[in-house]
Amino acid sequence: MDDNNKSAPLRSRPTLRELAYFGVVSLVLLVSLAIAPAKNYFSDWRHYQKSYLKIAAERQSGTLVRSFHGGIHQTWIANLGVVDRCESCHVNMNGALVGATAQPFRKHPPIPHEINQFGCVTCHRGQGPATSVEEAHYTTEAWEQPLLPAKYLESGCGQCHLGPLEGAPKLSEGRSLLSSMGCVHCHNVTQPDGNQLTPGDNPPPLTHIAEKTSREWMYAWIKNPQAYAASATMPNFLLNDQDAADISAFLMAQSTPSAATKVEIKPAAAAAPTGADAATEATTLYGASFCSSCHAVQNEARNLVGGNFGPELTRVGNKVNPDWLRRWLNNPVAYHPDTRMPHYRMDDKQVALLSSFLLAKKDNDLLANVHLAPSTADSVARGKKLVTETGCAACHQINGVNPPQNFAPDLTRVGSRALAQVVFAPGMKHNLPDYIAAKIHDPRSFGPGLKMPKFTLTDSQTGALATALLAQTDRAATYPKELIISGARPSNYHPGGEAGKLMDDLRCLSCHAINGNGGDMAPDLTWEGSAVQGAWLEDFLKNPNTLRPALIRRMPKFNLSPEEIKTLADYISVAYQGSGFDSQTLDTHSLNADSAARGKQLFYSKYGCQSCHIADYKNDKGYVGPALTSVGTRLTPVWTYKWLKDPNALRAGTLMPNFGLKDDEARDLTAFLMTLKAKQGGSK
Amino acid sequence: MATTIKSGFERIRNTEVWRTIFRSGSGSSNLHRSQAVQQNIFLHLFSVKVRSRALEFSPTWYLGALTLSTFFILIATGILLMFYYHPSVPQAYADMKDLQFVVASGVFLRNLHRWSAHAMVFLVFAHMFKVFYRGAYRPPRQFNWVIGVFLLLITLLLSYTGYLLPWDQLAFWAVTVGSNIAKAVPLMGKQIRFLMLGGNEVNANALLRFYVLHCVILPLVAILLVGVHFWRIRKDGGLYVPEKKNL
Repeated sequence: MDDNNKSAPLRSRPTLRELAYFGVVSLVLLVSLAIAPAKNYFSDWRHYQKSYLKIAAERQSGTLVRSFHGGIHQTWIANLGVVDRCESCHVNMNGALVGATAQPFRKHPPIPHEINQFGCVTCHRGQGPATSVEEAHYTTEAWEQPLLPAKYLESGCGQCHLGPLEGAPKLSEGRSLLSSMGCVHCHNVTQPDGNQLTPGDNPPPLTHIAEKTSREWMYAWIKNPQAYAASATMPNFLLNDQDAADISAFLMAQSTPSAATKVEIKPAAAAAPTGADAATEATTLYGASFCSSCHAVQNEARNLVGGNFGPELTRVGNKVNPDWLRRWLNNPVAYHPDTRMPHYRMDDKQVALLSSFLLAKKDNDLLANVHLAPSTADSVARGKKLVTETGCAACHQINGVNPPQNFAPDLTRVGSRALAQVVFAPGMKHNLPDYIAAKIHDPRSFGPGLKMPKFTLTDSQTGALATALLAQTDRAATYPKELIISGARPSNYHPGGEAGKLMDDLRCLSCHAINGNGGDMAPDLTWEGSAVQGAWLEDFLKNPNTLRPALIRRMPKFNLSPEEIKTLADYISVAYQGSGFDSQTLDTHSLNADSAARGKQLFYSKYGCQSCHIADYKNDKGYVGPALTSVGTRLTPVWTYKWLKDPNALRAGTLMPNFGLKDDEARDLTAFLMTLKAKQGGSK
Repeated sequence: MATTIKSGFERIRNTEVWRTIFRSGSGSSNLHRSQAVQQNIFLHLFSVKVRSRALEFSPTWYLGALTLSTFFILIATGILLMFYYHPSVPQAYADMKDLQFVVASGVFLRNLHRWSAHAMVFLVFAHMFKVFYRGAYRPPRQFNWVIGVFLLLITLLLSYTGYLLPWDQLAFWAVTVGSNIAKAVPLMGKQIRFLMLGGNEVNANALLRFYVLHCVILPLVAILLVGVHFWRIRKDGGLYVPEKKNL
């Protein structure tokens, strides 16, 4: 065209070969760029939504198909940190498409909350924001909390519900095991409301142990507690012979005489009758004292018979010194001020009978092979070192050894422990629930040098403990406080005065709760004074009987003196009064014969009370609730009236339903019940 | 046909609108052509004339141009990523997850940004090796070499500041280690680290600082220096093309 063609040798058009290269490279680029939107389009959740719609269409659920909104579905709860997109695939959680049983379209089982009130991962774990099957459910390179196996799911509830929870039996069992197995002696477990779990196992002090047992028994016991008593709570520390011998030497050496040794006790021979009659009498006494309410004994079939509140007595004859046992039966508090055992008022003969009965419970093979070298200063010193290192003083009081502080790892946030901080045993699956369960089941499998002893637990107990521990999450610790439902904390109530001393001596609070303090084995006595009549109470303390035909009687007879009974009955009647049990609530003058007649009608016809209760032994067959044949002498009218109106308000969790009685109906029923007065002791 | 298009284009080039924008009117004389380049803000960086040998593969391996391309990709994807990202401690990592799980082609976007960043670092090094071993840093191009060294530093800093933004363990520890290295500077190490992190440890302030550096300051400096770099190529007599010995 013009001069610049001449001035520079411009390149000619691209060759065919160059064009081909360019074409191929462009095509490769185009294809590789197309992968991104394609991957986006063929995502897991789109696939599942399509197949959901297909199933719905096959079932002719036209409305479902039409009302379905495609796309990512999410539950977003900002203050709980929940971004869960599980419902993008699990589209049928509300069960709109009936009968879809295969995942991801299964209906969510009914739960006490709205299904997405707290999102999904709060209970199920996994990765909520993820939208692929792999990322949402499993452990991946950047996510180490996979879905929680179904058997631990109740741990989700435990993040907010800190007390026992109906409907979460595993969680509740686990929590109570943490306490009753004494786990929290060594491990700190602080709940999200700031309260620590407290031990509930009452391990005995060892400060006076030498007067209670022999060094040989001690040796055998610490080597393997379960060989002595299958139900023993004490774990097995897997001690070698030398260590066990040294520890027993030290424990004997540190023992000092207790206050009980000052009590003069008659020699057994002087007080105890012998012979076949005596044996029968002793067995009767064991039964009549209701020892088995708390203590168990193995029968021939190796089944434990009796309660688990006190130690098992199958081989108690191997363990205790006869003198110690007599002093103990005479007054346990002198030896162990914090024991849960009540002070029975037994005379010398009864003590002698019962102690010889108990001493006969022994297994001659148990200590047959225990031959210990005499203890030396060296072995005592070594024993003390071992006791300190092993942490015995975390549970037991021992002279010269302080309870260790921060002895074991804090488990407050164990449910969220990062896997990077966990040392797994070889061959274990690398996930937190399996780790916790394995650690509880066999702690020493993680290395022989570890201190945690081996507890005797069933698989179900191990699972329950793991469930309770998995509830201790970071998530729970950061929840808004208004979501947290604390468990009941024991108060520090103790009855005062003369009666208070007596109740302390009888250890009423071991079994009964009063004003928020005490055990749960027997009825709560907080309002007992409002509930029962004084005369009945005196009779009952003289000779306790069970009130329910279907229950085993557990309340022992303490052989109280008439003065003691009077003191107790008066105190209970006066001190344990609820509010609103007065004539304003119920005018007792209105309880006349007419009213009682109407009440009888209501009892037998309208409300059919006889299906659970017995008002008349001849005709009624109700064995669920307590017998009412002498209720007129037992309960006060006003209590009965209020009870009928709202049983749950007086005893939370009672089986008695609230029938929503009208005021006059409740009054008539009360009038009828007050006419039921059997003869003294008639409620056999 | 070709003539029709050509004359049509000529006519457009002669319209008033065109001439107010581009100034150089129609005509394909050398003057016109060089004016077209010189009077355009985008083109004036480039030489008016390029030796055809300089456009071949062997003198440059196109390494500078490839570096520039990755830089453009990084700017484009970076802006898109900024739409989804909050430089805050509770949000940052969750935003990564959202990019992965719910943003359309979010993974592609992130990966494109990441791989382009890696490629850019590699290409910058390769470019500098090429320049060094061909002797292209020698006068009159010595100043452009210095600019290039600064661009290398900017590239590395962009790479490093971007590393913290996903706010995962890798990011956290990489920056912890990096800032501790800075602390090892004699006398004022601690102050340097404090300035870097906006505190004494890698936390919200460090995240914000790194974000601002990564998305605003460093890119602006890079664009400025790239402009100077390109302008200097022209001023230094175009790309360095060694004489062909046997030509």
